[in-house]
Amino acid sequence: MEAFGLLLHGFVVLLTWKTVLLMMVGLVLGIFVGVLPGLGGPNGVAILLPLTFTMDPTSAIVMLSCIYWGALFGGAITSILFNIPGEAWSVATTFDGYPMAQQGRAAEALTAAFTSSFIGSLVAVLLITFLAPMISSFALKFGPPEFFAVYLLTFCSFVGLGREAKHKTVISMSLGLLLAGIGMDTVSGNLRMTFGSPELLRGINFLVAVIGLFGISEILLTMEERLALRGHAASISLRVVLGVWKDLPKYWVTLLRSSFIGCWLGITPGGAIAASFMGYNLAKRFAKDPESFGKGRIEGVFAPETAAHASGTSALLPMLALGIPGSGTAAILLGGLMVWGLNPGPLLFVEHKDFVWGLIASMYLGNVVGLVLVLTTVPIFASILRVPFAAVAPMIVVSCAIGAYAIQNAMFDIWLMLGFGIVGYVFKKIGIPLAPFTLALVLGNRAEDAFRLSMIGSGGDLKVFWSNGLVGSITTLAIVLLFWPVIDGLLRRFGQTQRARTGLQQRLDQ
Amino acid sequence: MSQTDLEIVVDDPTAPEDDSPSVVSSGTIEIVVCLLLLALAVTLGYDNWRTGASWDSTGPEPGYFPFYLSVILGGGSLYGLIVSLLARRTASGTFVTRAQARRVLAVFVPTLLFCLVMQFLGLYVASFLLISGFMRFVGKIALWKSLLTALLFTAIMFVTFDIAFDVIMPKGPLEAAFGR
Amino acid sequence: MKAAMALAAALCGTPAVAGWEPAKPVEIVVAAGAGGASDQMARMMQAAIQKNNLMKQPIVVSLKGGASGAEALMYMKSSEGDPNKVLIAYSLIYMLPLSAKIPFNWRELTPVSVVALDQFVLWDNSAGPKTVKEFVAAAKAASAPFKMGGTGSKREDHVLTVFLEQKTGAKFSYLPYKSGGEAATQLVGNHTEANVNNPSENLEVWRAGQVRPLCVFDKERIAYTSKVTETQSWADIPTCKEEGVDVQYLMLRAMFLPGKVTAEQQAFYVDLFHKVTQTAEYKEYMEKQALKPIFLTGKDMVQFLEEDDAQNKSLMTEAGFVAK
Repeated sequence: MEAFGLLLHGFVVLLTWKTVLLMMVGLVLGIFVGVLPGLGGPNGVAILLPLTFTMDPTSAIVMLSCIYWGALFGGAITSILFNIPGEAWSVATTFDGYPMAQQGRAAEALTAAFTSSFIGSLVAVLLITFLAPMISSFALKFGPPEFFAVYLLTFCSFVGLGREAKHKTVISMSLGLLLAGIGMDTVSGNLRMTFGSPELLRGINFLVAVIGLFGISEILLTMEERLALRGHAASISLRVVLGVWKDLPKYWVTLLRSSFIGCWLGITPGGAIAASFMGYNLAKRFAKDPESFGKGRIEGVFAPETAAHASGTSALLPMLALGIPGSGTAAILLGGLMVWGLNPGPLLFVEHKDFVWGLIASMYLGNVVGLVLVLTTVPIFASILRVPFAAVAPMIVVSCAIGAYAIQNAMFDIWLMLGFGIVGYVFKKIGIPLAPFTLALVLGNRAEDAFRLSMIGSGGDLKVFWSNGLVGSITTLAIVLLFWPVIDGLLRRFGQTQRARTGLQQRLDQ
Repeated sequence: MSQTDLEIVVDDPTAPEDDSPSVVSSGTIEIVVCLLLLALAVTLGYDNWRTGASWDSTGPEPGYFPFYLSVILGGGSLYGLIVSLLARRTASGTFVTRAQARRVLAVFVPTLLFCLVMQFLGLYVASFLLISGFMRFVGKIALWKSLLTALLFTAIMFVTFDIAFDVIMPKGPLEAAFGR
Repeated sequence: MKAAMALAAALCGTPAVAGWEPAKPVEIVVAAGAGGASDQMARMMQAAIQKNNLMKQPIVVSLKGGASGAEALMYMKSSEGDPNKVLIAYSLIYMLPLSAKIPFNWRELTPVSVVALDQFVLWDNSAGPKTVKEFVAAAKAASAPFKMGGTGSKREDHVLTVFLEQKTGAKFSYLPYKSGGEAATQLVGNHTEANVNNPSENLEVWRAGQVRPLCVFDKERIAYTSKVTETQSWADIPTCKEEGVDVQYLMLRAMFLPGKVTAEQQAFYVDLFHKVTQTAEYKEYMEKQALKPIFLTGKDMVQFLEEDDAQNKSLMTEAGFVAK
């Protein structure tokens, strides 16, 4: 229970008026940058980083981590209200969050998102508190084959899920993987599919594509359907919040599963994105009626949000313990730590106890304060939907443009965004699913790199994916998931015959 | 603020929605999309073949995965093409009606113009023009409301990004005249 | 109005009044990802400039690590005449145009100053061989591929690996990771046998006793003698030459402005970075990351760059990394 004592000490360090005030300021700034499309978590933290240079390290990290929490909370707002995911891991939240907003259940969706963020982060913080030393050694077990197995698991949890025609899913995923491959290939250092264009050198940025696919195409569709954004029917009150909370216990399996996935993937770098998708997919796969997902089901918000935030939070652990950031925002925080002369690494926990436990304590406090703050402001955010569509539509277009441009300061990205807007519109209309496309765009490159590094390391031997217990079990799990519909069918048939037999038995007994 | 007076009707009231003629059928669009994807697959496939698509001593070459992905994409779109061609004999649904197309263009054309204007006048001026123009001419909202909203929104964006957070956005002659 | 004049001057390329200074926030362009050596250095400079009030306008760090840093190079190239962007460059300015046929030449940019030289060290896992000799013997004896981790492909780490192969006769499988930090943790996790990271990239895992420095790729030992770990200082690491493997390589860390800026603008930044090298932050950073302090500008810098370019070019050609 040494951890507990240290944590208490951390709270003592934190509980001064000055730090609590800093926390509030950080959270408000964070929500603000999270809501502004194009800023989002990493950019927001990067921009606000210099503000903290003049503070002492503990105050500075408290403020920065609160900006981080705020941005995490804020990111959900644009995903749900406008279908524009601010961070890569918010994409899965749009699948059900946005339909809910369209049905006039925006407040419900927002409450669900914030609550599940809170739960996810809380589970992860608890994990960090008690398992920090053990987890850092677990993260070290991940070499290229293990990474590839995790990505494979994410892809496999996706295949065979959609209701769309199979060839359309195939088109969507292969197109995404192809576009992800444009640009420099890390493993060989060669360029590919750039056709000599300096603009294509950078590759296609995932966020630019997503802003076009989701944000712009949504404007086109909404206009076509002649829907004004239908938000005005939403009744926003404490009642909605309590209503959502009352239903929480019903979803404990989803919440628990997503927290687990989140924590597990969060401590492997880049896992947060995979986690949100996997959380969503598994919730859908194990639901009784998978068809109702994507049409505004509250579980479809709970699942990815919990997973994303559990992993977003636990991503801080490898950053502190190993110096490898698990997410873009964590990477910027890492830069911040170095400016204050704190070098993340195995010795940080030994040499700067005050700082580490202060940070962990601030995670607890920041989360609680953050939840209260965002919940009390839900009505303000949801009321955005009452503004007439003719005013909101051009503002969203402008925000999308700002977002697409800010990522790499490239005018070309504006055109790319517009192009993806048209692609998104046409694909949605002829039933080519967008989710596999975005998943492939995000993870395609990493999966390929991990695969090829494994091959170099093993001398081209595929058996490397079963070379130890860890990688072997993940790979096997991936393959089981891939064939789950078949397995599930068999199990169900077996279950039915069993049940029929016992039923018969009972009747005979009577 | 009462809501009813702000509720806007986007479409042209003289065009009845239900019997608006179809501009193009879904089947035709599917065929076009499949053909485009097929062309893309062939182009990318060729480029990757050139880069090297075999499996050498250290594992796959840079073009290996993209090449086979192009093959898969090509196969998928070819299959899609055949399916839509076969389905063409039977009636296929409407992709857009004329009224719908008009509304989609009513938002797409301004967006396109916005992107174009941004190259020369910068983001902020282009935003002002887009928002005020769209509200006035598509939304039929009072001129003063449109101008005020556009000005306020653009100003907030400018203060946030340019002044407070030092995020560099494309700027044009107007900003330069003020020394920003 | 002064600002407008400065801007107009910048646009026309005519000499502005003496004592030019930026009227807009200045961007430090980093040609690598977050948390890497370049990023850390840029953040150090940002802090040094801000804390010591060396400039009125704020400094923004912009990460342009796309396409292994080529994104930053193309960005600088296309920003001709813009005096508000400074690139923090390293050996990729010579190597990328050769290996990936990027249409870029550092001579198109305006050199400001060389601010440091970075070392390379051969590291292995602390459970691995203890000396260079044992290490080479182990590599030769290995039946499975002997894995060497590094940053990027056909770049400094990869070139060094090829040279180690040539000098020792051992065979390595080079694993290109996205960053030096990743290469470091993969070594700690025993997924690779060794790496040739810069001191800064492996510092923390060395202090934690998880990796062992075998030798440094330089003519002389690193000058810093204060203890880094319980028992060792940077100066305790032998040079590779001492250990019988004569491979030397140093990497520049230099600042560049885009092409076609005025002499006054160039002079402002020369002065600014000279002041930066005098700050306590810079000195502390140099020692902590075991960098060689150096300040070259003007003719000296150009001469240095030309020689360095020629050397890198011959290394790349010998390693067979130049694209046809």
